[in-house]
Amino acid sequence: MKIKLIRTGGFIPVTKMAETEINITDSEMGILLKVIRAEPESPRIKDGSYYELAVGSANIPVDLNKVPAEYQQLFIKLKEDLKIIKAGKAL
Amino acid sequence: MLAKLMESGNKKIADMAVNTNFRSYRFRNDRIFFQNASLRDKKILGLITKQTGKEIMRMEVYDCKQKTDLAGATLLWDTKNNQKITSLAGKNVIKGGKASWDFYWQLFGRNSIDNKGLLIKQYIHYDKGMDNAYWDGRRMVYGDGDGTVFTSFTSDIDVIGHELTHGVTENEANLNYENQAGALNESFSDIFGIMIKQRFNNQDVKKSDWLIGEKVLIGPKYALRSMKAPGTAYINHPELGTDPQPATMDKYQNLPNTSSGDWGGVHINSGIPNFAFYVAAYNMGGYAWDKAGRIWYAVLTDKTLVQNANFADVKNLTIVHAEKLYGINSPEAIAVKQGWTEAKV
Repeated sequence: MKIKLIRTGGFIPVTKMAETEINITDSEMGILLKVIRAEPESPRIKDGSYYELAVGSANIPVDLNKVPAEYQQLFIKLKEDLKIIKAGKAL
Repeated sequence: MLAKLMESGNKKIADMAVNTNFRSYRFRNDRIFFQNASLRDKKILGLITKQTGKEIMRMEVYDCKQKTDLAGATLLWDTKNNQKITSLAGKNVIKGGKASWDFYWQLFGRNSIDNKGLLIKQYIHYDKGMDNAYWDGRRMVYGDGDGTVFTSFTSDIDVIGHELTHGVTENEANLNYENQAGALNESFSDIFGIMIKQRFNNQDVKKSDWLIGEKVLIGPKYALRSMKAPGTAYINHPELGTDPQPATMDKYQNLPNTSSGDWGGVHINSGIPNFAFYVAAYNMGGYAWDKAGRIWYAVLTDKTLVQNANFADVKNLTIVHAEKLYGINSPEAIAVKQGWTEAKV
């Protein structure tokens, strides 16, 4: 399954993206997304940056501090691989 | 030269020269007056509200050691113990935090972020290669940058002043962080951030480059934002492309109110009120914080400034406060109007 980690926001609004193929079932992915889904903030963090996980056609806001131990390395690698997406370029 | 022009046979030139001479005379005298005014005089004029001479800054600096667990960060420095530190980022935030606190205290009698002496908490080395700085409602957090496009977000004093000012705004108008109100929230942070830097470096409106984060964005031709010429802070940057900020209202960008839409372009459309401030301050001359800063601070702390204010609301309030502080048709009120006219608001 192909997944994309997308980072948006920040002091200057920059979008970064990294993608990888992972061996995971739909059901396992559903459980993972439930665990790491980010709650909306109130009030919003000023200049904050945000992560989304793109799975299929859905983009789910995620909180990387909630990533379970067995997926830590995967997300560390994805974060390290984040590259700036130039304005106007499709994700 | 001016004296000659004032006696010119050309009425238009003579009129202009007399007018210029009058305005220069007023600016000179105003500056001398404000430089010499006692704290008591300033208090009577409503320029200083609460300064008593007793308050002292309280600050703590924490090292996140490239992790994202703020609760687990290590205390590196505090005002009470004044520990010796070697970390450059640590030195930067202490310097920037002090400059910001001094700015608000010495000019406006504001005692810290909440005007009640709030402990300033700064967290450095957040996450691995994080290219960002933010205010989370309680503290300022800085990343080290990826080392390729961005260096440490502690490198520029205006960025530190920007983040601290988000705290001030949150304690005052608490402008919504979306669309025009959000762009104003960002603009107040840039405006006070640049003035904190200018004051620290003793730069007047002509000496200042009006750039935000020129060290943070790596490369001699680049900065994060330009208040003098929004949209030119970086041009054809190999990674970032070109600065998307507009300077004028006719170029306002309607973006989605999502994180990827920058909450309706809060960091993008802030170029418009930033430019209005630049023009106003430049036309007033001297130090930006002396007059323009005083007007914008009066607006930021005005109880009638609503959370969902738009650019026109802030335009009107800056004119009201300029006229209140300096008089109707004063050069300062005229300069404020010129600023918003140039920004096409």
